[in-house]
Formats: sequence, C-alpha cells, structure tokens
Amino acid sequence: METAYAQALWQMIQSGTAPKKALSALHEVLALRGRTALMPRIARAFARIAARDQARSGIVLSVAQKKDEKLGLKAIKDILKEMSVKADEVALNVDESLVGGWRLEGRGRLVDASWKKDLLSIYNRSIA
Amino acid sequence: MDSSVVQKIVKEIEKFTPSHESAHVGRVTAVGDGVVAIDGLSKAVMSEIIIFEEGKGKKLADSLGAQRELYGLILNLEEDGVRATILGDTSRVSEGMTVKSTGKILSVPSGEELLGRVVNALGEPIDGKGPFKNTTMMPVERQAAGVIDRKSVTVPLQTGIKAIDSMIPIGRGQRELIIGDRSIGKTTVAIDTIINQRNEPKEKRPICIYVAIGQKESKTARIVEQLRRERALEYTIVVDAPASAPAALQFLAPFSGVAIGEYFMDAGRDVLIIYDDLSKQAVAYRELSLLLRRPPGREAYPGDIFYLHSRLLERACRLNEEKGGGSITALPIIETQEGDVSAYIPTNVISITDGQIFLIAELFNKGVRPAIDVGISVSRVGSSAQTKAMKSVAGGLKLELAQFRELEAFMQFAQDLDKVTADRIASGVRMVEVLKQKNGAPIPVEMQVAILYAAGNKFFADVAVNKVTAVEAQLAEYLDGQHAKTLAEIKKSGQLSDDTKKALNKAMEEFQLAHKELFATD
Repeated sequence: METAYAQALWQMIQSGTAPKKALSALHEVLALRGRTALMPRIARAFARIAARDQARSGIVLSVAQKKDEKLGLKAIKDILKEMSVKADEVALNVDESLVGGWRLEGRGRLVDASWKKDLLSIYNRSIA
Repeated sequence: MDSSVVQKIVKEIEKFTPSHESAHVGRVTAVGDGVVAIDGLSKAVMSEIIIFEEGKGKKLADSLGAQRELYGLILNLEEDGVRATILGDTSRVSEGMTVKSTGKILSVPSGEELLGRVVNALGEPIDGKGPFKNTTMMPVERQAAGVIDRKSVTVPLQTGIKAIDSMIPIGRGQRELIIGDRSIGKTTVAIDTIINQRNEPKEKRPICIYVAIGQKESKTARIVEQLRRERALEYTIVVDAPASAPAALQFLAPFSGVAIGEYFMDAGRDVLIIYDDLSKQAVAYRELSLLLRRPPGREAYPGDIFYLHSRLLERACRLNEEKGGGSITALPIIETQEGDVSAYIPTNVISITDGQIFLIAELFNKGVRPAIDVGISVSRVGSSAQTKAMKSVAGGLKLELAQFRELEAFMQFAQDLDKVTADRIASGVRMVEVLKQKNGAPIPVEMQVAILYAAGNKFFADVAVNKVTAVEAQLAEYLDGQHAKTLAEIKKSGQLSDDTKKALNKAMEEFQLAHKELFATD
C-alpha cells in the first residue's frame, strides 16, 4: 500500500506540484483515512522510487584511463544525440578493467566499445 | 599455449575491426529461488533471453576462462520492470548486476548432429562428446501448425507391444497419454516403443526424442545405456532436465524437445517424442509461477497450467503433403497417485490427448506386464492407422478381454459354470498370457499378427496356462526361422490374405505335430 501512496506522491511532484504542497496533501488524505502511521514506510518507498529514477536517468561513461576521457566523449557524441542527452549530463568514471576504449551505460542502454570486450571475444572465438 | 590456438588468435587479430556493441540493459533489484526481479529492460518481450553481465569491474585475466555466459528467461512483464528465471546457477547472480537484453527468443539447436546425443534443456550437449558444429536454431515457443496445414492420422506407429498395437493402436501424429502410478512400467512402454523403431526401414523410421523431466540421473543414464545397447540411440535424442536441475529447466525441457523435433518434422520426417513425465513438469511450473507471484489456482497450480500442456501437445501433429508430410507423435507420461486419474493434471492431459494407455498397479502386481488395462485404455484416432492384417486379428480382442474381466470374478467357482462360460474364461486366461511381454523385447508387427492369429484360432486352447508364454516364444522362433516368407508377406502387404492364412494354419499344424508334448492341458 505504501508503494501506491509513494508513487502517487512521486507523480504529483513530477507533474509540477511543489513538494511541500504535495506532501501536505498526502498527509491530509492519510489523516482522513486514519493511516498516518504509514508515513515512515511511504517515505522509504519514495526514497526507493527516487533512487530507481536516479539510476535510470543517470548516464555514466567509463574509460580505462583518465587521459581517455576526451577521446571517449568525442566517440559518444552521436550516441548522446540519439539518446537526447547533453554532454554535461554524463558522469565520468575510470574503470581500469576496461583495458582501453570506453563504455557508456545509462537510461536502459549499454554501449560497449571497450578493449576488454574485444579481447574476450577474440579469446573465446580462438578457443572454441 | 598450443601453437594452433596461437595461430587462431593471430588470425582473429588480423581480421579484427573495432566496433561497439549496443544493448538494452536493466539492473537486478532482487534475486531468490532462481527468480530475479529486474528494473529496466523496457523493450523486453516475453520469453526473451537475457544475459547476466558477470564480468563488470573484473580484470581481463579473471574474465578469461570464466564459466560460460549465464542466461535468464523473461517470464513476467511488469509495470516498472520484468521478472525472469535464471537458466543456470542462481548463486552467480547478485543484486545490482547489469542484465543485457538479447532481442532473441529462446531457441535450441537441432539437426542430424544431435542424433545419438544427450542434451540439456537448452540444447547443450552433456554427454561429453563435444560441441555441435552444424545445427539450426529452433524457437522453443512456436505456434502449432494450423488446421489447413494438417492431415489426418493414417500411418501406424508400431510400439512393438502386442496389447497396444492390437487394441490401442497409435498413428503417426497422434498424442497418446501413458498414465499410471509410479513404478508400474510407464517408462518401459515408452522405451520399448523407441527400441521397436529399429524394425522400421531406415527411410521410414521415426526420429525418437526422449525428454526426461525431473528424473533421477541414474535412471536417465540407465535408459541411455539401454538405448545404446539395443542400437536405438543412433536414431534417438535424449533431452535431460534432471531432478537436480532448476525448475525453469524442468519446465522448459519438453518445449526444447518438441522444438528439436520440429526441425525434423519440417524436413518431412516422422518424429516420436516421449515426455517423461508431464506431472513433474507441472510441479516445476507451479514452483516457478508461485515464485513469480502469479495467482495460484486449484492445487496451487497457476491458471495457465492447462495452456502449458495444450500448447505443448498441440505441436504434435501430422503435416499435409504441401508442408512436407512430416509428423510428431507425442507420448506424454503422467504419474498418478494411488490410481487417482481424476486429479487436476491427469484430467487436463487426458482431455488434451487423443487417447490414453492406463497402467494399473493391480495388474502389475498380478504379473500382467505390461500392466495395461485395455478396458479403460483408448485410442481415438489410431484405429484408422491400423493395418488391415492387425485389424482382422484384433477385431474382437478387446470385447473378448472385457467379457473375460467380467467373468473373472466367477473363476473360483468354475465347477458351477456352464461350458460356454468356462470356455470363455479359459480362452480369456490364455489371451492374457499371450498379451504378456517382457520389457525391452518389442515384437515386430508381422509377428504380432501371426501370434494373435494363432491365439484367435484357439491355438493355445490345449496349452497349460503357465506354459502359454513359453509356447508363444517357441512358436515365434519357429515362424521366424521356418516361415519368414509368410511373415515378410504380412509386413509387405499389411494384409492377411487367404493364402497367408493358409500358410499360417499350415505352420501352426506343423508346430503342433512337432511339439505334441506342449499341447496337453493339465
């Protein structure tokens, strides 16, 4: 039940209602129904929804070394355009395990141009 | 490192062109009991295969030589995510793991290369004979052939079991249920049927697929060994989802089996598929459905349990000539509890199939094997596929046995019975003996016809009841050795002409003269 209230609250805020106003409206409804005890659980459910949304909307570019950042950003230019994402929305991350190349993950998509992927694929084809 | 591997790597590097791989992804939010909840994968479709990305953050050296990729199968599409089942080791999945969509519906490899092999529910070889090289991928879920593409069942599928071929005949493209309590010979009937296919000419011999669901590995190993010993493995494929396999694989195994069979059917070949057994598949599906939080219904089975079996068994059919004329004959097995055929799953499958072979514990314990109750067993479409020869000798058999069963209760008062009744009982007792058969010893159809012809003509009337089986075996040996031409004629023509009857009568007289000592009742 708390998830449904949290989702309602989330949708109100997303549709432009001021958070304070949305929260007081929710409190009012809960008081009317005698369910104010649900408030802490609704808060936790709301935090989960927010975290999920953050994870969904966040976009991360991983590169093997710090110096590859520029190269990576240049390479993903077209992909970002296709995904309607601005370059400054992209978080940068250094992941040495990639060996080289880059890897873009976020908004439900994964674009992998890492050397690790290529090397693994060569290895697997060779020993097959 | 092996120099050939080095050469391969050099070649791979030479032809390498950098590219990027794009996929829709989601994230595991919960995992437990073989089922995962995934956030994301908004473009996922039902029955799509997903890959769990285990190598993220792992060093290249650690990723080399890692276990093969871990797959999952999407079974629930929900408002803000999907639920999938893990097709492998659950412990390899953790919360937060990235899951890649493949855009592919679950498929299994099929082709000639699979003959004689043992594969798991994903079509991967598990017999240690190496990977497949040249196969065609077949979708595990496929719409069954439509009405227009089908043809009625007219070609017999010989089981080699006298009681079945004579009274409950099975045709190619039919679905005949084998039902009974545990350990009373259901699997034996199915395996004997596979073994009997070696008596068919190679070009007409059906490809056999044995799907073991939730069985003990030792039992499956024994069956594989028996098939190999009997030279039946060369035209058989074994799909194994043992009791130790995850519920998802046990649920998938029959679908994988039929998908493998469809390859051969599409190529115009006949296929015989055994599902051993669908009760265990239903239990696996119930487990999976409850974990997926689908609402439980009767006996806690999900609402679509009927559809699970109907969509599977509908894929068994005979195609018309335009579609190649291939067929899939399905012999599903259902295990009952204490002979209760009115339970949920048995009634469902009975209503889907074109007939059923009932095995009864009481008969089994009396020593009647196969313990088939011919009174309640039925084949709804098989009679049109029966050869004329078999029809002519088996016509009144079912009625005679039914009457015998009615009169059986009076046997202990035999001295009070009139001659007609006593004769009928005596004949019935002998007929039951004639229909007994050892396991692993299917009989070719022409021999069955000859034996039943002899039984129908009171050949065994003067033989002591306890010697009928032995006399029958001797007669079979005699006919095989001395009258092979007559048997070949029955096989070739499928009929019992007057000349053939005369030849059989003569053979029986000769046998009686040569073995007078056997024809004196005590």
